[in-house]
Amino acid sequence: MVFSSLTFLYFFLPLSLIFHYASRNNLYRNIALTIFSLIFYAWAEPMWIYLMIFTAMFDYGMGIFIENNRGSAKAKLGVTLSVIVNLSLLVAYKYGGFIYDNISMIGPLPFDRPTNTLPVGISFYTFMVISYVVDVYRGDVKAQRNPINFLMFISLFQHLVAGPIVRYSQLSEQVNRRTIDWNRISQGVTRFSIGLFKKVVIANVAGALVDKYMVTELYNLSSYEGWFGIAMFSIQLYFDFSGYSDMAIGLAKLFGFDFDENFKNPYAAISVADFYRRWHISLGRFFRDYVYIPLGGNRKFQNRNILIVWFLTGLWHGASWNFALWGTYFGVLMVIEKYSKKVLDRTPRFLKHSYTLVLIVFSRAIFYFVDFDQMTYFIGNLFVSDNPINPGFLTDLTSHVYWLILVLILCIPWDEIYTAESSTRLKWTARYAYVQPAVNLALILLSTLLLVNSTFNPFLYTRF
Amino acid sequence: MSRNLNSAFFLLVIFGMPLVLLIAKKEVFSVDEKRKLATIPEFNYTTYLSGKWAKGVDDYIDDHFPFRNSFIQGASVFHASKGFMLENAEKVVVIPKRAKKIAKASTEEEAAAMKFLDDFEEEYSGSMLIIDGCVYPMGGGSPKMSKSFSKMVSEYAEELKGETRVFSAVAPLSSAFIPVEKYRKYNEQNQRTLAAIGSSLSNGALFCDVFTELNKHVDKKLYFGTDHHWKPIGAYYAYVAFCKTAGFAPVPLDKMDKKVKYNFVGTMYQHTRDPSVKANPDTMEYWVPKVETSAVRYGEYGFNKYTNTKVFHHGCSGGNTYSTFLGGDAPLIRIKTGVKNGKKAVVIKNSMGNAFSVFLVSHYQEIWVVDFRYSKQNLIELIRANNINDMIFAVGMYAAMSNGTINMMRNLAKQHGVYIPKPASPTTNDSIITIQEPADTLN
Repeated sequence: MVFSSLTFLYFFLPLSLIFHYASRNNLYRNIALTIFSLIFYAWAEPMWIYLMIFTAMFDYGMGIFIENNRGSAKAKLGVTLSVIVNLSLLVAYKYGGFIYDNISMIGPLPFDRPTNTLPVGISFYTFMVISYVVDVYRGDVKAQRNPINFLMFISLFQHLVAGPIVRYSQLSEQVNRRTIDWNRISQGVTRFSIGLFKKVVIANVAGALVDKYMVTELYNLSSYEGWFGIAMFSIQLYFDFSGYSDMAIGLAKLFGFDFDENFKNPYAAISVADFYRRWHISLGRFFRDYVYIPLGGNRKFQNRNILIVWFLTGLWHGASWNFALWGTYFGVLMVIEKYSKKVLDRTPRFLKHSYTLVLIVFSRAIFYFVDFDQMTYFIGNLFVSDNPINPGFLTDLTSHVYWLILVLILCIPWDEIYTAESSTRLKWTARYAYVQPAVNLALILLSTLLLVNSTFNPFLYTRF
Repeated sequence: MSRNLNSAFFLLVIFGMPLVLLIAKKEVFSVDEKRKLATIPEFNYTTYLSGKWAKGVDDYIDDHFPFRNSFIQGASVFHASKGFMLENAEKVVVIPKRAKKIAKASTEEEAAAMKFLDDFEEEYSGSMLIIDGCVYPMGGGSPKMSKSFSKMVSEYAEELKGETRVFSAVAPLSSAFIPVEKYRKYNEQNQRTLAAIGSSLSNGALFCDVFTELNKHVDKKLYFGTDHHWKPIGAYYAYVAFCKTAGFAPVPLDKMDKKVKYNFVGTMYQHTRDPSVKANPDTMEYWVPKVETSAVRYGEYGFNKYTNTKVFHHGCSGGNTYSTFLGGDAPLIRIKTGVKNGKKAVVIKNSMGNAFSVFLVSHYQEIWVVDFRYSKQNLIELIRANNINDMIFAVGMYAAMSNGTINMMRNLAKQHGVYIPKPASPTTNDSIITIQEPADTLN
């Protein structure tokens, strides 16, 4: 199931709220949430629920085992075993076909190519359980002793299929006791409404243009249209994923949880490193804490560590070499930026911002095309193209111009320009409070308008 | 106060809408969309595990959502408000990719119409140009992509060298024939793409110059305006192009029986929802060769079972008008004709090939029609076991421009579905679904 569907919004969500709030007993609420989360997960692909439950229960047991043997070799064995099992499942289900294809290029293999479809959310929940067992091993968190509570933490429908990658330390207290009040629920409603709007009104509209400019018309594009297509994909990716994160954060609040922010105005970044401090923050933190720092971090072999982390970050996004290339591209840029710090510090802000935007938007071409022939053609065509501008291009621009202006406005980091202490912000926040209920209602109804007769709205990041 | 109002509005909407849905009277048929609305799906272990039940529930909620038609109209207003149209500019609607809808079909024709919708959804997205109530995709393929298709066809030619002739007959997009000068670019683009298929075929694979033949008749309306298929007249000129390559004399139109169907509003309206398209329904003239035919189709009820069918389904109307040809898409159809020349052909097609295939009955004693998207038969085995003389790829351009669909066609040679060597005389009751219809006798 996806958040941006009528089934979720008008049936699953009200029912889950009714059952969750039917009792004040926390255990009851956790059981209700767990059952609804399993229904949510099993909606379209019931077969993979067993894998998710196995993972949760295995790591629930490993957490207790590690805690019971803290400080001994058994704990180390436990955490090692857990990481190996979890990564093996991830590799088998996500990368099996990819590995097969690459090995079979050397020589034929005596067995058929694995044909598993990717279990939804496996990349996200695998990282969650790994961070849990490692944190228990490090003594950063206490092991969860109640299997229902642990299964709920892993399977919470708010984050299960596309993150954010929630750390147990963030939710450990909320799993056992949650504070719920109308203020939090109102914040959740606002956040969810904004997220749904971003997904349905911005990302989906951009997606239709991406289909045209990067698929249907791929080989007939002028350079201008190529850049337009890739800019649309940049918009789609950001509003799709950040919309999902907004909805996840909003839904979490409706049930008394607080998730950390996953995006902070990424397109306002002034360097590539800055961009990735603002984009998919929970993934960046995972790699920082569980890969980069254990490898030596800034202390030794920093360049190597950066490249390894970004290669893995790329591969995390998908079982294809283009993702590895995409990750490596950023790894190299990070290293270059590290050595160019003095130059960058002296560069005017708008130039830094422009340079970052161009590199980020360009990277989307590597990210988008799994087929290397298509990728190289598209990238080459961005710079040199024999194709004339298509007759429909101007029409596409004018017929989306108000929408494009809205997108630009939404990309501006208003909360950074007008900080929380700003008098202008305080004044407008107070005024906005009066119209906020009506605005949120309008966002929900407008999104519903576009969801009717458009039943399938997968989020891009659910495929990773 | 504001906080409570915020939550109250939200809760009112998310609890109110489903209540209205549950209480309101359910319609069973959408007049606008000319289709039966989804019913509550059957729940059992198989439908649940396959995800079909959940998809069915999604479709049911979508089809019966309160104020559905008003919401759809509202969505049109939103899309029209995203920007402005230049003076004298034609209207452009951008269609996103969509998922297949799973709905129950109660008749063979309905099932066929749904498959056409699937066909559309798989291939058609992006900008659609609307001129005088007719919809045209804005594109024309590319020579670069067409080489992958040629390579696949040439692989078959290599495999079947000396046994079976292999033809490529790819239909251009309707964009090739937009009646406005400034869109002539698409005509040239279609031409370049299809010519590139011809120039890159090898191993003796034969090229049918469908574009050139159609382009001679641009004065006629060769494609539907409200649907993504070509009109029978367009398919006829493709057949003429095939005959030129294959060495046959095409049967003139006036030597066939002409029939007409009115008020066809097809897939292009369903996706653009543009009122001018709805107000401009197509008329379909079609021609029936004066040849005795009978046909069976395999696959709907398992690949070892078949149903009797017909080449022409004259009863199809409304949104199902294009299902007149072969009754729509089926994994595998076998046609027997009164032409006693011993020649046999296999047509590899998507729905564009349906209107084309029916003209072949004048030249072959037996025609196998394989829908590459659904067939589980091994194509090479089928060709060799039946001593088939000619193999024809009759597909729309989008199918020839996508690696996904090209690989589907390629995989026909590799897959190992159940193959039925000599099926046409059923002997046991459990191997046939008895839908007895008379053979399509037209003399």
